[in-house]
Amino acid sequence: MSGNGKAPMVAVEGVKKVYRRDAEEVKVLDGLSLEVPEGDFVALMGPSGSGKTTLLNLIAGIDRPTAGKVIVAGTDVAQLGESELARWRSRNVGFIFQFYNLIPVLTAEENVALPLLLTNLSKKERRERALTALKVVGLAERSQHYPRQLSGGQEQRVAIARAIVADPKVLVADEPTGDLDSKSAEEILALMETLNRDFGKTIVMVTHDPRAAQRAHTQHHLEKGVLSL
Amino acid sequence: MKYLPYVLKHLRRNWIRTGSTVMAMAVCIFLFCTLQTIIAAVNYGLKSASASRLVTRHSVSLVYNMPLAYKERIAQIPGVKRVAISNWFGGVMGLPPDFTKFFANFAVEPEDYLAIYPEYVLSDAEKQAFFADRRGAIIGPDLAERFGWSVGSTVQLESTIPPYRIGRPFEFVISGIYEVDEVRYPGTDGRLFFFHHKYLEESTRNRAGAGTFSIEVNDPDQAAAVGKAIDAYFENSDVRTKTETEAAFRAGFVSLAGNLALLLNGIGIAVTFTILLVTANTMSMAVRERRTEIAVLKTLGFGSGLVMALILAEALVLGVLGGGLGLILGKAMIGVLPSLPLIGDVARAFPNLGLSPLIASLGFGIAVFLGLAAGLLPALQAYRARITDTLRTV
Ligand SMILES: Nc1ncnc2c1ncn2[C@@H]1O[C@H](COP(=O)(O)OP(=O)(O)OP(=O)(O)O)[C@@H](O)[C@H]1O
Ligand SMILES: [Mg+2]
Repeated sequence: MSGNGKAPMVAVEGVKKVYRRDAEEVKVLDGLSLEVPEGDFVALMGPSGSGKTTLLNLIAGIDRPTAGKVIVAGTDVAQLGESELARWRSRNVGFIFQFYNLIPVLTAEENVALPLLLTNLSKKERRERALTALKVVGLAERSQHYPRQLSGGQEQRVAIARAIVADPKVLVADEPTGDLDSKSAEEILALMETLNRDFGKTIVMVTHDPRAAQRAHTQHHLEKGVLSL
Repeated sequence: MKYLPYVLKHLRRNWIRTGSTVMAMAVCIFLFCTLQTIIAAVNYGLKSASASRLVTRHSVSLVYNMPLAYKERIAQIPGVKRVAISNWFGGVMGLPPDFTKFFANFAVEPEDYLAIYPEYVLSDAEKQAFFADRRGAIIGPDLAERFGWSVGSTVQLESTIPPYRIGRPFEFVISGIYEVDEVRYPGTDGRLFFFHHKYLEESTRNRAGAGTFSIEVNDPDQAAAVGKAIDAYFENSDVRTKTETEAAFRAGFVSLAGNLALLLNGIGIAVTFTILLVTANTMSMAVRERRTEIAVLKTLGFGSGLVMALILAEALVLGVLGGGLGLILGKAMIGVLPSLPLIGDVARAFPNLGLSPLIASLGFGIAVFLGLAAGLLPALQAYRARITDTLRTV
């Protein structure tokens, strides 16, 4: 399916996801398949409760499918154990959250450097990389500020710096502009375009905002657990 | 180690909560150290008590003396081997009295007393010198070291007890320094000062009676019966007596009797348990309000074990800080204990009062354990927390 025969960055094959709430079963994804070629920028749209976040969680390796395969960056995510999966995430996936989720007691720089604690890099190297990432998002001069001293848009840019600092291949973003005014949202989207175009990141973004979705190269619509174009 | 700043920043962010938890922990460890030190001191004193020795005192209180003539009558009671008069002199050096230089001093009948108390080991020459000099005194090695005294040194003491106050200090010459044999006589106090009871009698123009009678019995198994016989003998006298074994007497002297250790330990355990709850509450609050953060850490690839370790480390730091502060407080408290009113009298009566390395490390260990125990449940909670349950959006 991937045009040039190269393996896609993300391959979701016949995935089912069933949540069990007491006796009652909630079928969220029902045999869903999706491929994202390397370097693509994909937007996932769909009504609330359609399973967008669930699908994103599966791709990002923080949840496992009930059935089917999720292969990301050449790894079958469902095959990994809990701690292997954690290690895999730290190397392969960058996360951008709707509510930024920065650690309030850490400065911008420390927040960005957080994923690097899991590497063997020296303190100096961690610092340098964190500052580089902050430069990419245009916030180098705010490195010593705490999250509460930053605006929402700035917080999200710090969060993006944190997502790219370990140089993952895939970025996942769940409504990254959902909590921002349109101007800040515009900046964030521009930044994500840059990361996709200039840094070659494969991006999967969930959004409700049609204008945000237009910035992506590919749009998928999720309706009751199945994709429609 | 690279995670330490992260742990410390959290503790600093909630510094009021951190501070009050550390203080609570410190008070707990402080109490533990102080109480254990007192218990150890009491036990140490009791260890030296002999089963074959009795102490007879005034039935009303140690404050009152008994007639000197009681000695001969007690000596005649069957089972009694030897009797020696011994008075707490309460002498203090300096004008005005300097209580920081306080030590225990007794007026005793030299021959009988040393025969009953072989643990004050002296050469025959020293003994004879002591017996021969009315103003002679024998002292323990620790006392000699503390004040730099040697045989021949002169010492002036003025009593704090009214009948023994004669308007000028008593003058003494050191006749000998007894040895402490920890193997044969464990628990021997090396800081005592003994002088002639006769000197006391003469100087006070016979106002001094007998404070206590130390009695050696023939058969330790009969000690209790002999004690009863003595008290029965004086039952109808003006001055009745109370006779106890030496161990009971010493315990009675600290007026906290046999259950002291139990009581103090009970208090200690209750306080420790309370602090465990306080600290556990602190830690579970810390974890609860950080649920999202913990999920984010896990999302970023922090393993469950690492997240758990970070929480435990935070609790451990609380324990280490609390323990350290508690030890400092405890050491200071034990240092000033002898100069406090009321408790000071008791504290001074016991040798080796100081924060021992054993009690200190035990106290610190308890603090560390408390921290870890308090952190364990919240840490497990953090360990188990599932990302998808906490973060409804990636
Ligand atoms: N852990 C869970 N346990 C039970 N049900 C769940 C769980 N997670 C999601 N669901 C259910 O799965 C369905 C899809 O949820 P999901 O969060 O993927 O939707 P979404 O498309 O992201 O919606 P929104 O646009 O509101 O974020 C919902 O009905 C939700 O209630
Ligand atoms: Mg969602």
